[in-house]
Amino acid sequence: MKRANYRLPAYLLVIMNVLGFLLVFMANDYQLNVLYVGLGMMCLFLLIYSILVICRMGDKFLVLIASMLMTIGVLMLCRLNIVTGARQIVWIGIGGIVFFATYTIYYNIRFWHKLWFLYAALGVALFVITLVFGKTVNGSKNWIDIGPIAFQPSEITKILYVMFLSCHYSKSWEKPFLRVSPMYMTGFVTYTYILFLMLQRDWGTILVIFSIFIFMIYIYEEKKWFLWANVGAATVVALIGYEFLYHIQVRVGVWLDPWADVSNKGYQIAQSLFAIASGGYFGRGLGNGSPHYIPEVHTDFIFSAICEEMGVFGGAAVIILFFLLFYRCFKVTLNAENEYNKAVGAGLTLMFALQTFIIIGGVTKFIPLTGITLPFVSYGGTSIVVSFASLGIIQAISAIEDRKGAEALEQ
Amino acid sequence: MNNNRKIIRVLVVVSALFLMLLTYLLYFNMFEAKSVATNPYNRRQWDDEKYVTRGTIYDNDGVVLAETVGDGETIKREYPYGRLYSHVIGYCSQVYGKSLLEREFDSDLLGKGDIDIFQGNKKKGFDLNLTIKNSLQKYAYEQLRGKKGAIVALEPQSGKILAMVSLPDFEPSADNLEKNWNDIVEDESAPLVARAFSGLYPPGSTYKIVTAAAAFENGFLGQTFEDTGAFEKGDLKVENFGNKKYGEISFERGFEVSSNQIFCTVGFELGSEKVLEIAERFGVGKNIDFDIDASSSRIEYKKMTDEDAALVSIGQGQLLVSPLHMAMICGGIANDGVMMTPYVVDSVTKNEAVISKTRPKTFAQPIDKGCADYIKELMVNTVKSGTGSRASIWGIDVAGKTGTAENETEKDHAWFVGFAPADAPQIAVAVVIENSGKSGGDVAAPIAGNIIRKYLGK
Repeated sequence: MKRANYRLPAYLLVIMNVLGFLLVFMANDYQLNVLYVGLGMMCLFLLIYSILVICRMGDKFLVLIASMLMTIGVLMLCRLNIVTGARQIVWIGIGGIVFFATYTIYYNIRFWHKLWFLYAALGVALFVITLVFGKTVNGSKNWIDIGPIAFQPSEITKILYVMFLSCHYSKSWEKPFLRVSPMYMTGFVTYTYILFLMLQRDWGTILVIFSIFIFMIYIYEEKKWFLWANVGAATVVALIGYEFLYHIQVRVGVWLDPWADVSNKGYQIAQSLFAIASGGYFGRGLGNGSPHYIPEVHTDFIFSAICEEMGVFGGAAVIILFFLLFYRCFKVTLNAENEYNKAVGAGLTLMFALQTFIIIGGVTKFIPLTGITLPFVSYGGTSIVVSFASLGIIQAISAIEDRKGAEALEQ
Repeated sequence: MNNNRKIIRVLVVVSALFLMLLTYLLYFNMFEAKSVATNPYNRRQWDDEKYVTRGTIYDNDGVVLAETVGDGETIKREYPYGRLYSHVIGYCSQVYGKSLLEREFDSDLLGKGDIDIFQGNKKKGFDLNLTIKNSLQKYAYEQLRGKKGAIVALEPQSGKILAMVSLPDFEPSADNLEKNWNDIVEDESAPLVARAFSGLYPPGSTYKIVTAAAAFENGFLGQTFEDTGAFEKGDLKVENFGNKKYGEISFERGFEVSSNQIFCTVGFELGSEKVLEIAERFGVGKNIDFDIDASSSRIEYKKMTDEDAALVSIGQGQLLVSPLHMAMICGGIANDGVMMTPYVVDSVTKNEAVISKTRPKTFAQPIDKGCADYIKELMVNTVKSGTGSRASIWGIDVAGKTGTAENETEKDHAWFVGFAPADAPQIAVAVVIENSGKSGGDVAAPIAGNIIRKYLGK
């Protein structure tokens, strides 16, 4: 392979950073802070990328694509509020460390597939902790404070959940537990999680977890009826939810017609649509829009702000970048020979993909809105760190395959 | 490796989801974004006004019709002529949004795309220069005052709107709207409807112009008919206006006296297909690419019979047209068979430098010059010695056609369309008076005559 293959996309990233941060610099009344943030981020990305290439840690593109997404996110955050942007850089730094840590741990430990009980129990423990110590933010009780840091345990639960499912689907866990076969156990654990999430009113995560479950059943479960039973159960539960839960009725109603009550119930989605519609194809220009009108613009609604200032084409670029990311992740998954790794890869990839689809679809009113973060782009410590951790796992899977390939060549 | 196949299927599904997301985003931007962005709840529309002074709107001679005055918090959009332009310029309210030109040309008025670098001071938006003549507009308004209806006057060769009045109207200042919005919206006479281009009426006998074109092409010229006062076919019975009987007269004379019997007969003999075809050629059912959203005229039949064709040929039945479209048809006859797309914004300027200028566009060319000349002659004779005599002007040949349109109420709509001078037309006019209960020749023709006289300075 030629060396240029690794350098060209890195140049692209550098150019994007330089241009982007100069723009934000101009839009922010020439505050030097912006340039420091930009420089810091660029160095961080180049460092991570260099380590990857030099240490031959598997797929080179995953981190590059994620870096591009993070660049767009940080540009937007700096433009919204330079302090938020700077904090995000710190999180990205921590995320980078977590990335390499996850990579090393996942790469070197080979008994992940045996720990299903641990994953399930840890997940439940996190839920219980959240319910007891949690605080409510925007109607969802899914935050806990540890000293000065607030984090969302449900983000971590998603990874644990994928690893739990993979134990069964890689056929490394076939013994019944208390006479309950693993298939029923996966269902039981899934619905337990969903119940906890309902108590927290975290509808977005419910949607992500359940969709992962359905797709994983489709891929791995040999008993077809189990898939249909779950889809059927979900439909029934959704209908009952719609019938009896005011919360869900409001969301669906607002999705069908946000204009009926623009100043109250439809406020969020209407503000989001105003932003996207005002941006047009090429946007109003970084710093020229009014993204502050959008509620939760740093986190859930950051895509709307991107569309307003960078245009629908900017938004389309973000979607395409995500698409490239999944494509690479899927590729790693397909190449994985170890069944457990393959299942984990598929699950984490689906996690990224579905989360992206649900939130972008939500803020553009393509599907009903459920609040979750946009991976790598939204502001938020937990979101960034957990996304990095997931990426670290996928990176490790790709490295494991590369290593096997190299060994096979030597022999 | 069986699982890989399924994983690829999942990849395909996920890809499809993302493709849908992309498509939807583009679709939203193409078809929905404009109405969403101009929603009055979108505060961005007013952000711009903090940095930009909304452009001024002038008439054709530089008379100010709308301007923004004041500074800082006390910005006000002023309309010196009040109601006179409420159905052309529209309104601009922080609470109820924007309408008509204020809405359609919003980005121009706010100077979007202006590359001037400005610092500190407020930027000025672009100005609009209308084709309307303020003096003619005022005069037309006086003519229609106290009635319901519309007047459209345009230049046949270009499609320039010279005057456009719709009544009833409203006081467009934001203060008034915000105080009286409910009264205005709930008023039964619908003062918010710009009748000139959004109102649809049965055109009555003015539509015989179109039928005459089909008659010309299908060899009805010079034929004589026995006019017994009513067209009868099965259950259908259509009487002449005022129950008149004309005896044995030519087709041409039938046009001048507006014989319903003759035109129903012609329409019936042409049949539904040809009647529909000529209507389509004149733009019925076609979108009018006007500066402001205009209603399209239409014929609404599930299945049209020849009896229906007879009714449509005299401008009744399920045929509805807008006054603007009727003026365009009339302008088409004046302009040798070429109908022009109407426009009201002549140019967009900044400090007298032209940003963009509207070029006249052909709307349709339904007939050739020979046919147009023939109809023109019929119309001239209608004013000289037929139903349109009250539109005649000393020393000028006026061409015209009257109409008295039956509708779902007891009282007929009075119509007149015409242009002048017949040999070198400068103005085409359509006048409709809603539910006047009188004939077009009695009430609409004099108004059109006055407007033409005023414009030609006679």
